[in-house]
Amino acid sequence: MAVRGGDFLFVSGLTAIDLQSGAAMRGTTASETRQILTNLKELLGKAGSSLDKVVKVNVLLHSMLEAPNMNEVYQRFFPDPPPARTVCGARLPDGVKVIIECTVLA
Amino acid sequence: MTQRLPRSAIEPNNPRLNASRSAKLPHVPGIRVGDYIFLSGMVPIDPQTGERSHGPIADQVRTTLSNMRHMLESAGSSLDRVVRVHVVLADISDMAEMDRVYREFFPVDPPARTVWSMQLRFGNGCEIECVALAD
Repeated sequence: MAVRGGDFLFVSGLTAIDLQSGAAMRGTTASETRQILTNLKELLGKAGSSLDKVVKVNVLLHSMLEAPNMNEVYQRFFPDPPPARTVCGARLPDGVKVIIECTVLA
Repeated sequence: MTQRLPRSAIEPNNPRLNASRSAKLPHVPGIRVGDYIFLSGMVPIDPQTGERSHGPIADQVRTTLSNMRHMLESAGSSLDRVVRVHVVLADISDMAEMDRVYREFFPVDPPARTVWSMQLRFGNGCEIECVALAD
C-alpha cells in the first residue's frame, strides 16, 4: 500500500478496511475517514514513519457536501501544522465514500 | 538508511491568501520538505479582499495561478520551478479556456500536468495544486 522513493513514501489511495481481515468497512463519511486514518497511522508506523511526517494529502469524497463531516474527524489525527491537502468530490468505486492518499517523509 | 528532512509550513506574504486558515480548515497552504514544496489545492481568491472571486473561468484560472505565483515566491520559489501541476475543473468543457490562460503563466518548458473534472465546493470553477523545487 506504500512505495518508498528516495526520501519519500507514496501511499496508495486507501479505503476503509479492517487491516486484519482486509474486509471492507462501509459506513458514514466520518466512520470511513476514521478507519482510513487509523490504518494509515499503523501503516506508517510499520514503515518507520508517522502521521506527523505526512507532507501532502489528497482526499476524495463521494460528495463534497460531506466535507465538514470528514474534516471533523480528520483534524483530530494530524499535528499542528497539518499537511498540505486537496479535497475533491469524485465518483468512487464499490460504494466507497472516502479515499485518502498521501506523500510522506520516509 | 533513515534521513530526517525538515518539514515546515509555507505561508503567503499576503495573509488574505491563507484560505485554509481563514476557513479554519485542517490543512496548511503548503509544506516545504527538503528540496520540494507541496502546495495544497488553490482556488480563486481575490488577493485584495480574501473573498472567493468567481466569474468567467479564464478570470478564475488567472486569479488562482497568480495567487500560486505569490505563494511560491513567498516561499523563495517561483512558477518556473514548478515540476508537477494538477488542475481540477468543475466543468471539463472549460479545458480549452483554462489552457489558454495557463500558457500565459508557463510560456516555456511547462511542468508535467494532469487535468480532470470533479465536484468542487462553493461554486469554484477550478482548483489547482502543484509540486515545485524549493530554490
